[in-house]
Amino acid sequence: MSENNVSITMDRDSRNLRLEDEKVAIEVNDWNLYYGNKQALSNVSMKLPENRVTAFIGPSGCGKSTLLRCFNRMNDLIDIVRVEGEMTLHGDDMYAKGMDVAALRRRVGMVFQKPNPFPKSIYENVCYGLRLQGIKDKRVLDESVEWALKGAGLWEEVKDRLNDNALGMSGGQQQRLCIARAIAIKPEVLLLDEPTSALDPISTLAIEELIFELKKDFTILIVTHNMQQAARVSDYTAFMYMGELIEYTDTDTLFTNPQVKRTEDYITGRYG
Amino acid sequence: MNRDEFNKHISEQMNRNIEALFNEVLEMGGLVEQQLADLNRALESNDVELAKDAIKQDENINRGEMEIDRLCSTVLARQQPTASDLRLIVMAIRIAMDLERMGDEAVKIAKMALEQCTIGGDCTTMPAYNFLRQLMLASSQMIKTALNGFSRLDTSDVMSIYHEEERMDEVLNQAVESIKSELLVSDSADKVDLQLRMLMAVRAAERITDHALNIGESVAYLVKGQDIRNLDEEAMAKLLSQK
Repeated sequence: MSENNVSITMDRDSRNLRLEDEKVAIEVNDWNLYYGNKQALSNVSMKLPENRVTAFIGPSGCGKSTLLRCFNRMNDLIDIVRVEGEMTLHGDDMYAKGMDVAALRRRVGMVFQKPNPFPKSIYENVCYGLRLQGIKDKRVLDESVEWALKGAGLWEEVKDRLNDNALGMSGGQQQRLCIARAIAIKPEVLLLDEPTSALDPISTLAIEELIFELKKDFTILIVTHNMQQAARVSDYTAFMYMGELIEYTDTDTLFTNPQVKRTEDYITGRYG
Repeated sequence: MNRDEFNKHISEQMNRNIEALFNEVLEMGGLVEQQLADLNRALESNDVELAKDAIKQDENINRGEMEIDRLCSTVLARQQPTASDLRLIVMAIRIAMDLERMGDEAVKIAKMALEQCTIGGDCTTMPAYNFLRQLMLASSQMIKTALNGFSRLDTSDVMSIYHEEERMDEVLNQAVESIKSELLVSDSADKVDLQLRMLMAVRAAERITDHALNIGESVAYLVKGQDIRNLDEEAMAKLLSQK
């Protein structure tokens, strides 16, 4: 072993992580969400730390995806949804009257469960958001596409075929392309909703590695059904159950010594 | 926390593996208890056969450790345990290691007893024998207490194991002092040999009490989810008394 390796420590060691010491990216206070008369989120309050990966876990219907979608106001698209409470992004009220939702979504990018590239070239997929912003300078677009594809760990694989149709790529590549498309506009927060559930294990590991790299530049919030994935990639984990935030702490603690029995029952797969 | 919690997994396979693991650890612990009991009787009655039994028992103890390692590896690889399940797996590996080392230390003492008996000597008249006996009796009691705690997931006796271990450190110091003063007046190589054999035996016996405390600490981590090894006595007592 070379001398340089002597001081290598665990990458995902969250021993020294404390929520209280973190800079806050998103703050949620007494957040409630209703689908018509049905309450889907109840009094959720939490501070989501900057440049960290926070995972949301919990059984189906617990509200984790619903909460994630609140962070870029995706729920606005559903007529019967009503929200109460306060949500701020770096101090800005995300639900303020007159808030430009398109501008908010530029600050909070999202990647979905199933890769959804546009039926366009790889290049056009990545620079789509930039073009929407009115950027036309070819040099700026070229640089941004290269930066985003490198960031998404895809550059080496596609740099010689940027004009090929994105739909010809593998599922794992398509998902990384979607991540490249999301980060090209340099959002502050990246939302990942089950980003690997449609992928094979190797592509999944590539995305997980990518998530770890991306947190240097972005605040990442990930919803996953795969608890081992949450344990592998996240710094903090939030466990939700029936619309409530049950336990939210650093990932090491949540997976080795959860404080709430319901969390313990869920992550150990026991009858509650 | 109680044992029933470990039997509530949706996966029956997990329930069976966890139950098997509890049983394996307790069975291995039983083998060490038996080994120490044989050894105590061998020392008291100069019984060569019992000393041999204690030495032979080590093979069974080693097999127990291997079986626990295998079971833990299987659960880790196939069922990705978390929270108390994960703590149980990690602590089972550690407890098995402590039990195996206890077995090795017991063998050292048994060999000393065997040598003494073989040359026709009486173990009970060896220098510092009283100290060895104190250490051995404490070892037996401490391992029993620690394993009971593991079986019942109960930390209420961990502090008493801690205090007993501290007391045994003192007994070892006294034994060493006693042997040292005997050595100073030893007038033959045989006598020096005898003293040195006893010195190794008391050291080995004290190591057994160290391992018993390690098991108590493992039980505390399993039940409380916190490492007590770096805590001072007061902090340890406070943590262990918390519900």
